[in-house]
Amino acid sequence: MKTKKLLTVLLAMMLFTGCGSDAVVTSYTEPVEISLSWWGNDVRHEYTIAAVKEFEKLHPDIEVNCHYSEWSGYQQRSNAQMASDTEADVMQINYAWIQQYSPDGMGFYDINKVSDYIDLSNFTQEELNFGMQHGSLNAIPIALNTQTVYINKTVYADYGLDVPKTWDDIFEAAKVMNGEVYPLSMVAKSVWFCSVAYAEQQIGKQFMTIEGDINFSAEDIQLMLDFYCRLIHEKVIPQPEYFDQLNMNSGQYAGTVAWISDASSHCSKAIENGYEIVVADYLSDTAEKLKGWYEKPATMYAISKNTSYPEQSAMLLDFLLNSEEMAVLQGVEKGVPVSESARTALAKNDMLTGIQYEAFQKMNDRTKEISLVSPYLENDDLITEFCNAGNAVLYDKISAEEQAKELQKRFQSILAQAKEY
Amino acid sequence: MGKFWGKSSESQENIRKFKFAMILYYAVIIIGITVFISTSTIFKTDDVLKSKVSELTSALNVQMQMNINSYLSKVETTAALLFAEKEVYLYDATNESNDEYESLNTENFISDKLYSLCIMENFVDFGIVYRNNHTVGKLSNNTKELFGDRLYEDLAASINRERTHDGWFAGYNGNYNRIYYVKRVNDNAVLVTSFYTTELESVFEHPGGIADMEIRLMEASNVIIYSSVENETGTQLGSEISTRIGDHSSATLMDDQYLITVNQCGDNWKVICSVPTQIILKEKNYVEYYILTIGAIAAIIAIGLSIILSFGISGSVDKTFTSLNRKAHIDLLTGVLNKRSFEERVEAILKKAGDAEYYALILIDVDNFKGVNDTLGHAYGDKVLAGVGEILRNTFQPEDTPGRLGGDEFCVLMKMKDADSDAERLAAIDEKCAELGAVFRNTYTGDDKNYKVSASIGVSVYPTKGTSFLELYKKADSALYLSKKKGKDTFTIYSEEQE
Repeated sequence: MKTKKLLTVLLAMMLFTGCGSDAVVTSYTEPVEISLSWWGNDVRHEYTIAAVKEFEKLHPDIEVNCHYSEWSGYQQRSNAQMASDTEADVMQINYAWIQQYSPDGMGFYDINKVSDYIDLSNFTQEELNFGMQHGSLNAIPIALNTQTVYINKTVYADYGLDVPKTWDDIFEAAKVMNGEVYPLSMVAKSVWFCSVAYAEQQIGKQFMTIEGDINFSAEDIQLMLDFYCRLIHEKVIPQPEYFDQLNMNSGQYAGTVAWISDASSHCSKAIENGYEIVVADYLSDTAEKLKGWYEKPATMYAISKNTSYPEQSAMLLDFLLNSEEMAVLQGVEKGVPVSESARTALAKNDMLTGIQYEAFQKMNDRTKEISLVSPYLENDDLITEFCNAGNAVLYDKISAEEQAKELQKRFQSILAQAKEY
Repeated sequence: MGKFWGKSSESQENIRKFKFAMILYYAVIIIGITVFISTSTIFKTDDVLKSKVSELTSALNVQMQMNINSYLSKVETTAALLFAEKEVYLYDATNESNDEYESLNTENFISDKLYSLCIMENFVDFGIVYRNNHTVGKLSNNTKELFGDRLYEDLAASINRERTHDGWFAGYNGNYNRIYYVKRVNDNAVLVTSFYTTELESVFEHPGGIADMEIRLMEASNVIIYSSVENETGTQLGSEISTRIGDHSSATLMDDQYLITVNQCGDNWKVICSVPTQIILKEKNYVEYYILTIGAIAAIIAIGLSIILSFGISGSVDKTFTSLNRKAHIDLLTGVLNKRSFEERVEAILKKAGDAEYYALILIDVDNFKGVNDTLGHAYGDKVLAGVGEILRNTFQPEDTPGRLGGDEFCVLMKMKDADSDAERLAAIDEKCAELGAVFRNTYTGDDKNYKVSASIGVSVYPTKGTSFLELYKKADSALYLSKKKGKDTFTIYSEEQE
């Protein structure tokens, strides 16, 4: 009887412990997936990807998908993404895009709503104001920027020339260099800013108001067109369409005008090749009536208004702007950081050096000579139209006077469209 | 009084041996069955696990192959879209008769076209390179710098597919940061597309079903284009994997060290998924450990049960055996040894007895027992005999051996104290016999006893009067006769003088 009972108990135990067939349920914790987009060169891509990996290590529950490419064509892509609501959660943006994509302040996420996740005390109110739009903090500046003149002093000295200070010096240098090398070089956007600066210095009024209203008459615009044609015609610069940055490395270009944030990419190889590159004064006219040079936030970070993960996006933003890890990886590649903690990290690591830092110091020294740019002045369509129009005049397809009148209308139309966006 | 009838030690030993053997054989069988079941389960599990992991890895590899093919195909399709515009693919920047302004506008148009085609792609390069190294579209400084004066020449040389006039390559001058796709546009122009190798991280992203799975994209020369292992890109594939793959272009291979699946993709490249067999075995070891633990627990439980059952069964056998043993040796009426057992036991004791040991064989005969039977009946006579048995058990010590020789005749082999002198021993016998006589008298005397029962006793001493039961019995019987002769209810110790 006892044995029988024992066997019954054993059988029951076996049934309970091993012979059941419960469904196997395996659950997973999906990480939060956010995206980050930027433009730049290889160096920027490499350090940003490295920084993202660091961030993911710190926050294993957040996965960051990176979307990046060079600047060329980036704005077209950005336009398409913003219009189709497929933009990244965290975006590197241009200062002008705040006005373009968020005229009412609703085009980007209001970062003030996630201020618990971003240390905004690293920025002064004045710096944050660059990203304010109708009371909404649309973006935070990474660094401040201005078009700066970089001169290959070695090449200039070879031709017996000093570092240029005025436009006349540049034209004179072109004569001396006689087409063997270009005294300056620049992409279309820099040609545009130089043309604006030159015209403003001559005329004594700004091309447009901060709100994007054009102050220039057709005659004034003609002055810009003439200047553009003269630059190319007298071989001061190569045709912007044929600009090849690599020629700076070999001394074929004896100077360039570029953003502070581009100083390293434009000049570092030439410096490595033994050339002495210096940050020249902002070019001026002997009888200038206005300085004509503008500053702006170099690039900014914004959060998509459509993001599903504002807190996580804000955490990434904080890491990119304020963390020592990112500051050290980034150095001054985008210019000297606005964030106080990032600047402190760079100072601690002796990284506030080099041509980019010199350009930043020049901007700081001349801050009174530099005005805040209107976001509309950087409009790509304005620049493309200007260069195309300049080329038509350059190749005698139309007179400068006639072209200037046409161009003024085109400018008005482009700006009207931009404001309607 | 103890179990003076004793046990059959041989039988007890046999039972004990049987019990032990039963447990041992049972344990061996259980352990054998457990080992067999565990081993065969482990082997089967091993086979199933390896087979399933192979299938899983193979499926993963096919998925990776499809992913990379899809990605490469997307790049090729984007490039092919360029041929939708005649103005784009027919333009020749090397033609010296081109109007400069027209060329500028055409190139601006081509450039716009190129940018619009790749607007949503993470391409580093997407531009046209002409035979004179003039470029239109998106050509990165890094690519220009990397190829230098040989830009067109080396890009054109990388075209290796005759049908589609295109080709893929990576690792130009040891640079594996980008992967290039080149397609012939016209006799003097090629389209170059490139993307960062890191883009493949999303292409080769997998859910991580198998820990430590390594994924690589390898070109025909065995150089790794992409690897999920850090810092491996651009290096030669390790011989431990390359030798196993050999010339296979689509296979799953597994040996003691690696599980490898390989599939060809794109431009003669191979996607390789590999995982050290040890990693899989690590999973298997968990299963093995589990099976062996369960097997061991089952064996211990089975052996424990067998011991309990064995004790249960042998306990019953022991009880039955003891009962039968008792019945075989004991006179059931009186509770003392029967004649045969008594004789055997006395013989056994005397055989073992040393020179200095002394025993008294006390022969007791119940006086007038026939009269009791005749007068009070056999039932009462049986009661008297049973009472005698009780008297003997109570009067003598446990080391003494009482027995019934038949009818009303009883006998006790009493152990004498070794150190006593002959006189003392005789005195002790006198004392014991007098005590016995008194007990008989007291037991059967009283108001309700109608008949007086006493005992006549004869005693012989070992070894002085004999060394065997028979010798001692004869002498005791002779002494008993004298006691009867003296008028009963007395005792006589045998001596030669009596003869």
